[in-house]
Amino acid sequence: MKHTSSIGKSNKTVMILLVLGLSTIIFPLYMTVVIAFKQPSEMTNSISGILSLPKTWSLDNFREAMRVTDFWHSLGNSLLISVVTIVLAVAVHSLMGYALGRNKAHNKFYGFVYLFIVSGMFVPFAILMMPLAKQTAELHLANWVGVILLYVVFYMPMNVMLYSGYLVNIPIALEEAARVDGASTWRTYWSVIFPIMRPMHATVAVITALAVWNDVMTPLIIMAGSGENTLPLAQLNFQSQFGTNYNLAFASYLLSLIPILIFYGICQKQILNGVTNGAVK
Amino acid sequence: MKGKGMKYLGLSLCGMAALALSGCGSSGEDGKIEIEIVQYKPEAANYFETVEEAFNATHDDIHLTISSPNDAMTILKTRFIREDYPDIIGIGGDINYSYFVDAQILADITDYKGLQEVNQGYLDIAEALELIPTEGTYIVPYVANAAGVLYNRDMFKEHGWEIPETWEELTGLCQEIQSAGIRPFYFGFKDTWTCLAPWNAMAVELAPADTSKQVNRGETTFAKEYRELAEKYLQLLPYGPEDPFAYSYNDACTAFARGEAAMYPIGSYATPQILSVNPEMNIDSFVMPAGSAREDRTLNSGIDLGFCVMADCPNKEAAYEVLDFLMDDENLQKYIDAQNAVPCKKGDFRLASMLDGMLSFIQEGNMTDYQDHYYPSEMSVDALLQTFLIEKDVDKFLNIFDTNWQRYNRDIIRMVQDYEASH
Amino acid sequence: MKNDRKRTFLLITIPILALFVCFNTIPLIRGVVYSFTNFRGFGKYDWVGFRNYLDLFTDARVGKSYWFTIKLAVVTTVVVNVISLLLALGLNSKIRAKGFFRGAYFLPNILGSLVVGYIFNYFFTYIVPALADMAGIKSLSTSILSSPGKAWIGVMIVCAWQAIAMNTIIYISGLQTVPEDVYEAGGLDGATGWKQFRHLTFPLIIPFFSINMVLCVKNFLMVFDQIMALTKGGPAQSTESISYLIYNNGMSGGQFGFQSANAVVFFIVIVIISVAQMKFSGSKEEQL
Repeated sequence: MKHTSSIGKSNKTVMILLVLGLSTIIFPLYMTVVIAFKQPSEMTNSISGILSLPKTWSLDNFREAMRVTDFWHSLGNSLLISVVTIVLAVAVHSLMGYALGRNKAHNKFYGFVYLFIVSGMFVPFAILMMPLAKQTAELHLANWVGVILLYVVFYMPMNVMLYSGYLVNIPIALEEAARVDGASTWRTYWSVIFPIMRPMHATVAVITALAVWNDVMTPLIIMAGSGENTLPLAQLNFQSQFGTNYNLAFASYLLSLIPILIFYGICQKQILNGVTNGAVK
Repeated sequence: MKGKGMKYLGLSLCGMAALALSGCGSSGEDGKIEIEIVQYKPEAANYFETVEEAFNATHDDIHLTISSPNDAMTILKTRFIREDYPDIIGIGGDINYSYFVDAQILADITDYKGLQEVNQGYLDIAEALELIPTEGTYIVPYVANAAGVLYNRDMFKEHGWEIPETWEELTGLCQEIQSAGIRPFYFGFKDTWTCLAPWNAMAVELAPADTSKQVNRGETTFAKEYRELAEKYLQLLPYGPEDPFAYSYNDACTAFARGEAAMYPIGSYATPQILSVNPEMNIDSFVMPAGSAREDRTLNSGIDLGFCVMADCPNKEAAYEVLDFLMDDENLQKYIDAQNAVPCKKGDFRLASMLDGMLSFIQEGNMTDYQDHYYPSEMSVDALLQTFLIEKDVDKFLNIFDTNWQRYNRDIIRMVQDYEASH
Repeated sequence: MKNDRKRTFLLITIPILALFVCFNTIPLIRGVVYSFTNFRGFGKYDWVGFRNYLDLFTDARVGKSYWFTIKLAVVTTVVVNVISLLLALGLNSKIRAKGFFRGAYFLPNILGSLVVGYIFNYFFTYIVPALADMAGIKSLSTSILSSPGKAWIGVMIVCAWQAIAMNTIIYISGLQTVPEDVYEAGGLDGATGWKQFRHLTFPLIIPFFSINMVLCVKNFLMVFDQIMALTKGGPAQSTESISYLIYNNGMSGGQFGFQSANAVVFFIVIVIISVAQMKFSGSKEEQL
């Protein structure tokens, strides 16, 4: 954004504030890293003790955490579920967002469907748990396919809301131009609207990825007894009522943070370089 | 472009569902009888893995699978609603067991021979857990845990402190420890469930073992039975940390391991966590004295893990064979060593050193079940206790206890009273 | 042409709606059915009519959880939206190491709740009191999480800390829809700073503002993870959120039927709040 020259001065203030705000993130992160490297026998309740650096920087905790969680296998399951969910979310939810966003203002039916779906966001998961556990088993979906289907449904309300919100700022004239060229609505969507919504795809992808990546409850109840684990499920190994191995747990959480951080890195460039600035005129 | 394909996205989703449909329904492929155990103690997963291997290596006709999932209760409940029952479940002797018996999903195993080797005390405890007296036996008690007071053996030796055997001796000891500049107790009351540990340990001496059942029959009230208990509990607080509600179970374990207190009123299950912080620590335990007569003392002990055969299990004989294997002295000893547990089976077993102070009670069979095994979890008695310890209002607490009990147990009370009327 | 458009929209909507009904509406209806029983989650059960619903209104614990949850949701929503809007403006301005900052501010959202719970517990239990002692602030010298009156503030801080990342992303993506020529035109009129924001930027990102408001209210009304990680409803049941109660007593406990009734009422309450909210911001959108 290259407007006005007075920006230079305010940039410094912005920088300073951002750096200050960063301390609220650096500190917990520092604690996480330090604890991940320590041994249980180095844990104390004193402040100097917890903030001190570990005696040795050995990767043993990480190795052990990977063994306990059967890391590569669980990671594979988590990746499979997340990737398929994200692809489906971007495809299905953007379509739905488009259909509803374009019609909800002037058509009663679409307006109702929009509210109906968005209100699905407010259903407390606890009430759905038992019926879903039963229903997925009846449909023979008590496996990762079922988990993905449920995710596509669970995140539909929020994503549809996001997409149709984004559409407000995309002029309908763009579509009309394409229509004049003889393209069908379906084609116009994929060749004009879908690409324009790229920043929103990235946003939806990030938000959905986050929710899916850390979710314990859905795989717990749907995949129960299937013998398959996702990373968060495997990480439950570190905590029981009578004892939690924080050192291994923290090491494991740091490991599982890496894929999602990389994914965010890729997506945030898309959010950042939104094509709309050039396209919508 | 990809347009056409996307049009049928809804259809392809259904297709995926159908695909998944075809991928199920395999069992007992090589003619072996399949036995599946789901047990609720993930910390014992390693032990059960070795048992599973050893069993399968020595049995040609039965194939055993044992899973030790995290949050096993949620998993079990979701599987029950799907009517997808394992053959055997390993659970604790608490209110869930009572509910399962009441729901008639467990098999009567009176004819299982291994029951004769189980310590009668634990069979009685199991019997008592049934909401209304039910014909039959539904659980094989495997191991028990014990709660009382853990103490720092080296610290006690150094100062020449004696193990207290009455309430007066206990408070006297606390004052003595305090005057030596040491904190007598550590509490981790931020985790509400730890509020139940001293409560249970004192209740076994101060309240009738079947208080809850008496209340259900309308014979007494908690206000009557629990008053002394509540008052004595409050007297313990000054001997603990200043703001016990700030510290979690984990904090308390760490503090006790670091020598910040001489005693920690908690169950034997806490020792692994304490030893992980300080592997050299020398821990022992004693039965918490709550009354004035030393012979009134009884060990607070309940079924930590027992095995129930599900009513749905098609091969009871095979299930019994698996139970025999689990109950084998050698295997049981391995479990005891790994988990510092107390066996429910009669016989000579080596117990962990931190149970030394409780040994005589175990050998005599002088034990009483946890009061909280009768409390429905949704009533959150642990949270009520925490509130009570913060507010320190005995009358209000007992009053709330009684009203909440009636509210949360309405259906059970009606059931019990119907039973009483017809018997 | 017009027909093609109509048909396409219908062909998109119907199958997706069917999927949604299948895995959201139908299980919800089944859940509603349970709310008229004393079902424990397994085994046999009896029909109890409206007893669960009548009980809800006399249950002090449920009432308390509503008060706590609403208080938390309102305060956290305000705090989160103010901070994340500022943060989004900052991260969207021309600064150095933009990518790094965006990555860093995103982190709170991905730390698992076990980690967040442990660290903040430590922070409130040991670090804050120590700092307060040094500074001589008496009221903070004990952990706020151990005080029934103040524990909700601790929960609020952690909720905000975690939620700011997500809201900031949504605001940033909203800011991308603001065409640069708007600023250029504004710059000519001499609109800078607050004025520029108030009259040029903000009106254009109102849809995102309303999305964030709805999401915030929804997320914080349904707060669960942070409670589990931080206080488990304590001290003295002062931080039991509605979702916590529904899950803890319904799933883990044996009150499935009763808590289903609670969930049904709760669902209706949030829908009313959110629809009102959307109607309100919708009318705002049209005004501008």
